[in-house]
Amino acid sequence: MKRMKSLMIGAITAVLAFSVVGCSSSEQEAQVLNIYSWADNFDPDVVKDFEQKYNVKVNYDVYGSNEEMLAKIQAGASGYDLIQPSDYMVATMIQLGLLEDLNKENIPNMKNIVSTFQTPPFDPDNKHSVVYTWGITGIAYNKKFVKEQPTSWNDLWNEAYKGRVIMLNDPREVMGMSLIKNGFSNSSTNKEELEKSFADLKKLVPGVVAFDTDNIKQKMIAEEAWIGTVWSGDAAFIQAQNPDVEYIIPKEGATIWADTMAIPKGAKHKELAEKFINYLMDPEVSVKNYESIGYSNPNEKAYPLHSEEYRANKMIFLDKADIARAEWLVDVGDTLQEYDRYWTEMKSGR
Amino acid sequence: MNTRRRHILSGYSWLMLVFLYLPIAILVLYSFNDSRINAVWSGFTWKWYISLFDNRQVMQALANSLTIGVISSILATVLGTAASLAIKHYSLKWRNIVNGLIYLPIVIPEIMMGLALLVLFSQIHMELGKATLIMAHVTFSMPYVMVIISGRLADMGKDLEEAAQDLGATPWETLRYVTLPLIMPGIVAGFLMSFTLSLDDFIISFFVAGPNSTTLPLYIYGLVKRGVSPEVNALSTLLIVSTVLLVIVAELFRRKDSKTITY
Repeated sequence: MKRMKSLMIGAITAVLAFSVVGCSSSEQEAQVLNIYSWADNFDPDVVKDFEQKYNVKVNYDVYGSNEEMLAKIQAGASGYDLIQPSDYMVATMIQLGLLEDLNKENIPNMKNIVSTFQTPPFDPDNKHSVVYTWGITGIAYNKKFVKEQPTSWNDLWNEAYKGRVIMLNDPREVMGMSLIKNGFSNSSTNKEELEKSFADLKKLVPGVVAFDTDNIKQKMIAEEAWIGTVWSGDAAFIQAQNPDVEYIIPKEGATIWADTMAIPKGAKHKELAEKFINYLMDPEVSVKNYESIGYSNPNEKAYPLHSEEYRANKMIFLDKADIARAEWLVDVGDTLQEYDRYWTEMKSGR
Repeated sequence: MNTRRRHILSGYSWLMLVFLYLPIAILVLYSFNDSRINAVWSGFTWKWYISLFDNRQVMQALANSLTIGVISSILATVLGTAASLAIKHYSLKWRNIVNGLIYLPIVIPEIMMGLALLVLFSQIHMELGKATLIMAHVTFSMPYVMVIISGRLADMGKDLEEAAQDLGATPWETLRYVTLPLIMPGIVAGFLMSFTLSLDDFIISFFVAGPNSTTLPLYIYGLVKRGVSPEVNALSTLLIVSTVLLVIVAELFRRKDSKTITY
């Protein structure tokens, strides 16, 4: 009994001492950068180098979806300095007044970025955001089962792959794909166009094995799914694990997406966040960073510095012509309700 | 007939066990998988256990979880024990009312509690972080401590305390030498329960976490989009093993206690 009590008292003292020490040491640290982002979105060494170079501490917390992040920032008590919203979320957050203006004088490396990303429709002047990772939603297929190389979205409708098609679990992406297949814009607000694309999509549904963004990689690698709509960066990951999987961007075009870097309103360490953004866009740093996380680098100055292997990967080093054909998802206003209605109808009708 | 029934029953119990433990077994198995993704088996390796300790994010999340778990369960145990002792002296009517109010947080949906705490913290302009997480964890684990300790106190009755006071013990001495030793197994059980609850919690933590306070469950959830790495499987395996050890130790303590203290 006595032993147990002294144990407990010991534990309490230890914890209190620990927390006091913890507090005082964090006060000594002058500069802290609080990042709120997707998991595994930076090369750990790059972050470490930044900390050493500028004598700062980087805290890195993660979220699983844009909506979660938005909820946290909207709650107003978040304390983050750098966030990574996706394209459409940038537009939403600008509209809600949740993003700071970037001070471009602190980010001279911003000019290194490919011109396509200097004027994205969600933030035309890069006033609040800079593209960080990006990709195109194309078709990934397993050549063991899909003998003929797909060239068009139409190939997903092929009877031979019935029950083996996998799709992203996202109304805008999936409806956008069907709209593009039918020759319309992926962000159409025209009722007839939507109706037609939806009717087409409904024919595909019985052949779909799953609508699943989170496990799409597992299902492609394990060959449960043979063909499907996959982000380019994910396709590169899948191919590294299962060399039979190939990736193409259909001739009709495709949806391009990006995760960005932005600073939430009221961030306490805005300048440091800008310093970090600038650091990540340094050509040499970016080469190290992007080769580690396996995503496409938007940094044009860095292109010649990348390794042969990275440059040869068509899923990471996307073709210029493909990029030119790709289209951003833009805000559709109230039509979003239509998209959601179709989506619910499609999924419940299965 | 009888043996057949017994076969069916034992078969059923085995099925139950398989149902309960198969997912955990698979999780452990895949921590030794060579592939980066939990989809196909591609060979045995220890490498995830090694790289685990180099992964700053995982280690940071583990440290956060343990710090928050230890501090919040100590606070919940101390506050919960004190509250149970206080409630014991209330009249039956008040005791029932207070008990009802205390058990309410156990039954209201976690998501409501998380939201309520988030609203509260942002109303009083408290910055989200470790402190808010600890407060939230104390809030939801204290009722469990009180349930356990109130039960223990009810079993104990008033006789021993009254006897001690008859024999000249001061109220403090009664508490120190009679009551606390008798309810110690309950206190330990309450502490372990709070610690486990704190380590496990996702929903409430999700609402009240802030900078530099990502706990393990929050981190693992965040990994879903990129694919959960086998390092997480390795870590979970280590956590399962240490939890089992912890429970065994606690159980040994409890048995030793009930042997030495007879009443």
